[in-house]
Amino acid sequence: MANRRVLVKRRKSIRNIRKITRTMQLIATARFQAAYNRAVATKPYNEKLAELVADLSSAAAASGGVEHPLLKENDANKTALVAITSTRGLCGGYNANVLRVAIEHLETQEKAGHAVDVHMAGKKGISYFRFLKRPMVEQITNVGDVPRFDQVEPIANALMESFIKGEISAAYVSYMKFVSTGTQRPVVIQLLPLARKAAETAEGELAPAPTGQVEFSPEPQKLLDSLLPASVRVQLFQAFTDAVVSEQVARMVAMKAATDAAGDMIKSLTREYNRARQTAITMELLDIVGGANALA
Amino acid sequence: MSNNLGTVTQVIGSTLDAQFAEDQLPSIYNALKVELSRTVLGETTHETLWCEVAQHLGGGRVRAVALGSTDGLQRGAKILDTGSAVQVPVGTETLGRVFNMVGEAIDGLGPVTATNFRPIHSDPPEFKDLSSKTEIFETGIKVIDLLCPLVRGGKAGLFGGAGVGKTVIIQELIARLARFHSGYSCFAGVGERTREGNDLWLEMQEAQIGNTGKRVIDQTVMVFGQMNEPPGARLRVALSALTMAEYFRDQTGVDTLLFVDNIFRFSQAGSEVSALLGRMPSAVGYQPTLGTEMGELQERITSTVRGAVTSIQAIYVPADDYTDPAPATAFAHLDSTVNLERSISEKGIYPAVDPLASSSRIVAPELIGERHYKVARRVQVVLQRYRDLQDIIAILGIDELSEDDKVIVRRARKIERFLSQPFFVAEVFTGFPGIYCSREDTIRSFEELCDGKWDHLPDEAFMYVGAIEEAEAKAKKMAN
Repeated sequence: MANRRVLVKRRKSIRNIRKITRTMQLIATARFQAAYNRAVATKPYNEKLAELVADLSSAAAASGGVEHPLLKENDANKTALVAITSTRGLCGGYNANVLRVAIEHLETQEKAGHAVDVHMAGKKGISYFRFLKRPMVEQITNVGDVPRFDQVEPIANALMESFIKGEISAAYVSYMKFVSTGTQRPVVIQLLPLARKAAETAEGELAPAPTGQVEFSPEPQKLLDSLLPASVRVQLFQAFTDAVVSEQVARMVAMKAATDAAGDMIKSLTREYNRARQTAITMELLDIVGGANALA
Repeated sequence: MSNNLGTVTQVIGSTLDAQFAEDQLPSIYNALKVELSRTVLGETTHETLWCEVAQHLGGGRVRAVALGSTDGLQRGAKILDTGSAVQVPVGTETLGRVFNMVGEAIDGLGPVTATNFRPIHSDPPEFKDLSSKTEIFETGIKVIDLLCPLVRGGKAGLFGGAGVGKTVIIQELIARLARFHSGYSCFAGVGERTREGNDLWLEMQEAQIGNTGKRVIDQTVMVFGQMNEPPGARLRVALSALTMAEYFRDQTGVDTLLFVDNIFRFSQAGSEVSALLGRMPSAVGYQPTLGTEMGELQERITSTVRGAVTSIQAIYVPADDYTDPAPATAFAHLDSTVNLERSISEKGIYPAVDPLASSSRIVAPELIGERHYKVARRVQVVLQRYRDLQDIIAILGIDELSEDDKVIVRRARKIERFLSQPFFVAEVFTGFPGIYCSREDTIRSFEELCDGKWDHLPDEAFMYVGAIEEAEAKAKKMAN
């Protein structure tokens, strides 16, 4: 068979691919550890803050009509969505899954008659939306594998500003929530308005109800003024760190599967090659023996 | 007939040597006749064995190939030179009958009362007589009409390994073409299963031509030299059928169809004979004269200014290896090649035509029209891209493809399935009635598919339907 050379070439190229995917898998594993530590490190602070906000806002509301612009609902005909995707590929269905829930969210919003400002983070999401020809108001490409707070803060600030101005009636963030190494779930959570159950949506479980009378010092208004924006920023930051961990997990899994698949393919190609080789040898022998016999 | 008698001097399998007078040597290709008696279980039968002179050995000796079984042949038997090549009956008397290679009726309907006979060996038509018309021959099979259309008056080959559906397609084409065909058809069964020939014969007796009330068999001649026959018969049976078809072409001028199943057996028989004749084997053990033999046969299957012969040939591909000399030699002679692919038949898609390897001389914008050409090429581009991406999908998964490629892959999967089609002859197996899809419908369906008009239908809806509207209807039925 004349395709022996082709088989060798293909096998070689698949070997190279496997080398790459295996390396990627190892790198993803290392990066995952770092990202995981970072994500976990911010969690206690995040949780406590959410708890505090929930306590205080409900207590403040109970103790006498404290209002805060971030808690107030408005009826603007527009919402905002921060969609977090990855900047690099080779992470399996990660981006497809996040984008799927983002698109679903967009569609329900649009059905409800709301225009949506899309703030897209990550190159993959940007190119997907370009492909769909969907508009994006902002393309965030500077947040990398190690999200820094000062990168995320302006995004949150801008959202809060336009919310307070009444330009948008709600802000959401869609990202891959990191539950455990085995499970990541694509979710859309509401950032604004800060509902009283903010703690619940962020953490999945109800914060303990406030007990007793709370005494505010400094004034509740002042307190909330600095606490509520901080909570929004931290939530958004958590979403970014979660997304990075999930991405690394997804990449680990995808690259493991790819390495295995490449291994299987190499095996079957090797088998095919050996068979082709043996066939060619047999054929040549037959020709030689046949020729020799015919002459004898 | 002459009375030039010789003597059998040696019998080697299905070849034999005979001694003639030196000045009365029979010519190459002359038919020899020998009477032999065979005793099986105490019962003795007398038969006539036909042979064909293949070599002159010198000293008045000739080496001949037996065209039947040499069982019971003895050295010293008297052998008669008939003075010409094997002659087969030709003309309208042969219609509706079944013959063996030497032109004897084997359907048990009594002797044939033909008045015209022709030798099976003759020269191909002359250069100046060849017809230059090129016209598409619609079959109603989507994949064939779109990507490798048959040429009216041309030659089409169905290539495929064992059990991918060559015979089914050839029978389907007989059912589709012969049924709507006004001219005559000839069928040559070369070295295939006798049972298949029998099935075909019975089916042709039942099938009607259009609404004329005439049976298909009444317009058809069948010639069989199946697996059980010695190599000599299998080597020449295609010529017998061809001779009958040539007569229709030359004398009546009517369009004639010639079906051959299977040309590979012709090459194979040639290789067996070659070995028995003591020629040195060439590549892969084939006869050194492989190309010549194929050329002599194929060059005669051609359309002339007097009439057209459209031939459809099944060609077995040993071990699915298209570089094997036998299929490779046949390749060059064909106007249209339909390649059947095992991996497609394994997916359950029939006809298992490989849309990228199959081609036709007629696929050119000036012959089939700009639109058809473009659609055919677009379909191939999509499928080729899909094939290129297959390794990536297998290793990294479909999610790693770019958005454009994902669209192509999804579309290619639909196209791949849409190339399937229910067959008339397979109705008893599949339970679906056969579907005839006009060329116009085919082109439009694939055009819309490439445009992405049907991206929303599930893949399965494209299996075994005719035009695209049927896929839509099927999708609706699946949804309920």
